[in-house]
Amino acid sequence: MRFHGKEFELSLFLVALVLSLIGIVLIFSSKYYSSNPSEHNLYLKQMLWLFFGLTAAAGIFFVPVRFHEAMSWVYYIPAVILLALLIVVGTKGQFGSARWFRLGWINFQPSEFAKLAFIFAFARYLSYTRRSIYSFKWLAATVLLVSLPAVLIVRQPDLGSALVFFAVLLSMLFWAGVPLLFLVILVSPVLSLVCGFHWLAWASFFLGFLLILYYHRPRFGFGLFMIVFNLAVGAVTQLFWDRLHGYQQLRIRTFLDPGIDPQGAGYQILQSKVAVGSGGILGRGFLEGSQTRLDFLPLQHTDFIFTVAGEEFGLIGALVILALFTFLVVKGILIAKKARNTFASFTALGITTVFAFQMLVNIGMVIGIMPVTGLPLPFLSYGGSSMLLSWMCIGLLLAISYKWYEY
Amino acid sequence: MESFAFRKDRNSRIFLCLFCVALLGVIFRLYYLQVVKVSYYRQISEKNCIKPLPLVAPRGLISDRNGKILVSNFPSYTLLIMPGPVKNIRKTIDQLASFTRWETTNLADKIEDSWPYAYQPIRIKRSVDFSTLCVLEERNEELPGIYYQVELDRKYPSCRWSGHLLGYVSEISLEELRKSDKQRSGLGDLVGKEGLEKRYDDLLKGQKGTRYMEVSATGKILGELEDKEPVMPVPGVNIELTIDLDLQAFAESAFYPYRSGALVAMDPKSGEILAMLSKPGFDSNIFSGILTEKEWERLASDPDRPFLNRAIQGLYPPGSTLKVLTAAAALEEEIIDQKTYLSPCYGFFFYGDRVFRCWQEGGHGKMNVIDALVHSCDVYFYQLGLELGLDKWCWYADRCGLDRRTGIDLPDEKEGLIPSLEYYHRKFGQQRWIKNLVINLSIGQGEILLTPLQVATFYCGLVNDGWEYQPRLLKRVVSEQRATSYGPEVLRRLPFSSETLEILKKAMAKSVADPSGTGHLARIQGINVGGKTGTAQNPHGKDHAWFVGFAPVEDPGIVVAVMIEKGGHGGELAAPLARQVILKYMQKESQKLAEK
Repeated sequence: MRFHGKEFELSLFLVALVLSLIGIVLIFSSKYYSSNPSEHNLYLKQMLWLFFGLTAAAGIFFVPVRFHEAMSWVYYIPAVILLALLIVVGTKGQFGSARWFRLGWINFQPSEFAKLAFIFAFARYLSYTRRSIYSFKWLAATVLLVSLPAVLIVRQPDLGSALVFFAVLLSMLFWAGVPLLFLVILVSPVLSLVCGFHWLAWASFFLGFLLILYYHRPRFGFGLFMIVFNLAVGAVTQLFWDRLHGYQQLRIRTFLDPGIDPQGAGYQILQSKVAVGSGGILGRGFLEGSQTRLDFLPLQHTDFIFTVAGEEFGLIGALVILALFTFLVVKGILIAKKARNTFASFTALGITTVFAFQMLVNIGMVIGIMPVTGLPLPFLSYGGSSMLLSWMCIGLLLAISYKWYEY
Repeated sequence: MESFAFRKDRNSRIFLCLFCVALLGVIFRLYYLQVVKVSYYRQISEKNCIKPLPLVAPRGLISDRNGKILVSNFPSYTLLIMPGPVKNIRKTIDQLASFTRWETTNLADKIEDSWPYAYQPIRIKRSVDFSTLCVLEERNEELPGIYYQVELDRKYPSCRWSGHLLGYVSEISLEELRKSDKQRSGLGDLVGKEGLEKRYDDLLKGQKGTRYMEVSATGKILGELEDKEPVMPVPGVNIELTIDLDLQAFAESAFYPYRSGALVAMDPKSGEILAMLSKPGFDSNIFSGILTEKEWERLASDPDRPFLNRAIQGLYPPGSTLKVLTAAAALEEEIIDQKTYLSPCYGFFFYGDRVFRCWQEGGHGKMNVIDALVHSCDVYFYQLGLELGLDKWCWYADRCGLDRRTGIDLPDEKEGLIPSLEYYHRKFGQQRWIKNLVINLSIGQGEILLTPLQVATFYCGLVNDGWEYQPRLLKRVVSEQRATSYGPEVLRRLPFSSETLEILKKAMAKSVADPSGTGHLARIQGINVGGKTGTAQNPHGKDHAWFVGFAPVEDPGIVVAVMIEKGGHGGELAAPLARQVILKYMQKESQKLAEK
C-alpha cells in the first residue's frame, strides 16, 4: 500500500509564476516605445492582475474540491445568465463585439469564467450519470449543457472562446471513456459544414466518415441518423453558400472571423510572421525588435504577445515558453490521473484542456497555421479576466493534487 | 466506476500523444520561420516595408429592362503622382501646368491635403486624352514622380436625363472616407454620388483586391512579395433596371418643347418605373473627367435648378388630379352615389362671405360625380368637400399615404405635404381654423404639395383595384454566380372598395373619350385611355399643367404622370404629351405580341 500523503505541487506553481512574469516582461517590451503614453504602464496593471490572480489561487486552494462539486450548478446558471445579459448591456469592443461588462475601470469578461463554470457542471454531470453514453437522452443533455454558454458566446461574436467549450467537451467525454472514433462521429456535422464549401473537400470528408462508421459500427439507427444528418448539412451548406453574392460571403467570413484586417487579407498575420521569423534562433534582444517597436500590430500586448517573444528572444525564447506550457499540461494530466475523486479528476482534465487548447490555437494563429480567433495566451496575454481565470485554475489544480487521495 | 480508473492510464497517454503531435507541428513551423526563412523575414523586417496596394474592382454595369447597356466601363488614362521621388511638389505641378495648360491652382493644395495618406500614389487627373499624355511622356525627365496608368472610367448615355436617374461617380471625399467602412474604401476610390450610382453603390462597387509589394526605404517598389498571394478583386454586380430605354428616350424627346417639368411612367401592376424624367436635367458624363469650374458654376447657379430631380424632389400642388381622392372618399362614405346630383354649378360658389370660383366661368350646370370628374367641375367638389368635412378628408389622404415617401430606390426622395388636423391646430391654434379650408383641399389646392412620383403611385393604386405597389427601379441583380430578380412588393392597399374604384375609372375614361372632357387631347384611336387633368395654381407665375393618364382602361399596363411647370392648362399641354408616351408604349406592347 502506498502512503497517502498530501503533496503540494510546488513546481506547478513556480512554472505558472514564471510564465506570468515572462508575460509582464513581454508586455513591458511591446509598449515601451508606444506612441500612446498611457500604454507605457500596462505592465504595472498586469502586475496588479497577477497579484489578484495569486490571491484568488490561494483562496481557491483552501476550499475543499467537494464544495465545488456541490455548488457546480450554482456556478453554471449565473454564468449563463451573465452571458445572456452581455447581449443586452455589454460594452462593444474593437471589432464591434460585446464581450465585456464595464465595471468602473475594469473590463469584466464573463466568458472566461463561464469556461470554469462549464467545467464544473460537466464534471459533475459526468461523475454522477449512470446512463449509457450512447443513449439519446444522455447525448441531448450533453449538447444542451455545452450549447447554452457556447451559443451565447458565438453571438458576441467570439468564435474562439466558443471553440474552447467544444474542446473541453470532447476531451472530457474522452476521459469518461467515450471512444475516439465515436467522438469523431459526433463532431462530423461540424466537419461537414466546414467542408461543405467545396464539393471535393466534402466528398473526401464523407468517404472518411463512412470508413469510420464501418470500423466503429455504432447502433444502426444512430449511424443512419448521422449519415442523413451529414448529407443534409453538406447539401444545405453547398446550396446556401452558392446562392450568396461575393460580398455577402465576405461578410459571413468577416463575422466568423472578426480579426481579419482592413485590407481583408491577413495583413496582421503577415506582420506577425515577419516579426517571429526575423527573430531567428537567438532573437533580436530585449527591446530590440523592430516590428515590435514600430507598432505594426495593434493587438500585440493581448492576442499577439507571442510575437514579441519570437522576435526578441528568438527560437530559444519560443521553445522555453512552449516547454513551460508543456510542463503545465503534463502536470495537469498527471493530477487528473492521480485524483481518486471522479469529479476532481474531470475538473483537472478540463482545466488542462483549456490551457493546452488556448496555447496551441493562439501560438498557431501567430505563426500562421491557425485561423485568426480572438483567444488569449494564458498567463502571457495582457488582460485581467484571463489572468484571474488562469490562476484560479492553477489554484484548483494545486488543491486537487494536494488531497489527491480523497474519494 | 471500476473501468474508469482503468482507462485513465491509457487515456492520459493518448491525450499526451495528441498534444505532442500538435506541439511538434508548432515547433516545426517555428523552425521553418525562424531558422529556414530567417534571412528572408529579417530582410523584410529591416526594410520594414510591406506595402499593400489596392487592386481596383471593375464597377458593375447598369442596363435597362431589355438588357440594353446604359452604363458601362471603358479604359482611360489616369495621371498619378508618386510622393516618394518628388521633392518640390509645387515646382512639379507648375511644370505640369506649363505643358498641359491645365488649371492647377487647387491641385497642389489637394495633394498636400492628402499627404497624410501619401503612402499611396495620388491621382492628379482621370481621363487624360492621348495627345496630352504623349506630350507628358516626352517630358518625362522634367516631371519626376509623375506617371500614368490605365483605369476604368464610367460611360453614361449622352443625354440630359442620365444625371438624375443614373447619377454619377466621382472620387470619394475625405469626409465620406472618414464615415465609410474602412474595409471597402480608400483614398481615390470612385463612389456613387447621385441617383442609382449612389443608391446601389454597395452592389456596384465590388470588393477591392490587394497586392502586397516589397518597398525599399526610399519608397521604390521592388516587386511583389513572394509568400503572399495577391487577393483578387471581386467585380461589382451588374444591375438591370425597370426603365425601358426606348420609352425613356422617347419621353425626353416628347418633352423637348417644354422648359421644366417632370414625367413618371409606371407599370401599375408591379410598381416598376418604365420611364422617369426631370427637366431640365444634366448629363452624367460631365462629372466623369473634365468638368471645368465655369461649367459647374453655370449649372449650380441656373435658376431652373437642373440638379433638382423634380420627379421625386419637386413639390407641387396637385390641383384637380386630386379631385379623385375627394370623389372616392365621398363615395366610400356613401355621401353620394353614382347618380347623386348636387346643386348646379353657375361658375361660382358662395360660402360664408367668400366666393369660390369654378374654372369655367359660365358654369357646368347640374352634375353627378362622373360628369363632375369629366369636366373637372370645381363647384361640385367644393360642395362634396363640405359634405365630407375636413377630418374625413384628411383621414382618407393619410390612409392613401400621400404625405409619406414612396420609398423608391433613389436617394433623397422628398415627402409631400398633406395637412392633417394637427397641422392646422399648430398653424392656426386649437380649433381656431376655419371650416372652409376643406373647400380648397377638395380640389387639390391649399396646403397640399406632392411629388409627381407620389401622384403617379397613387393613380397606380386607383387603377389597379386599390393595390399600390412599391415603385422601384431595380429589376434584376446579376453577379458572376447568379441572377436575382426582384418581384413586386405591395406598398399599401387604398381604403376604397372595388365599386368606388370602378366608378372613378369609368369617369376618367370618359374624361378622355368624351369630346367635351378635359382630357380629350389624350385620346388614342382604338385604345381606351383614361386620365385626369390638373391645373395647379402657382403663386410664382403661370399655372402648372398636370395630366395623369393610364391605358388600356380595361387592364391598365401603364400609368403616366406629366407635370409641366408653368405650362398653363393641364388638358392642353400635359395631356397630349402623356398621350404620346402612352401611344409609344402601346405600340411596343403590340409589337411584342406580334413577335410572339
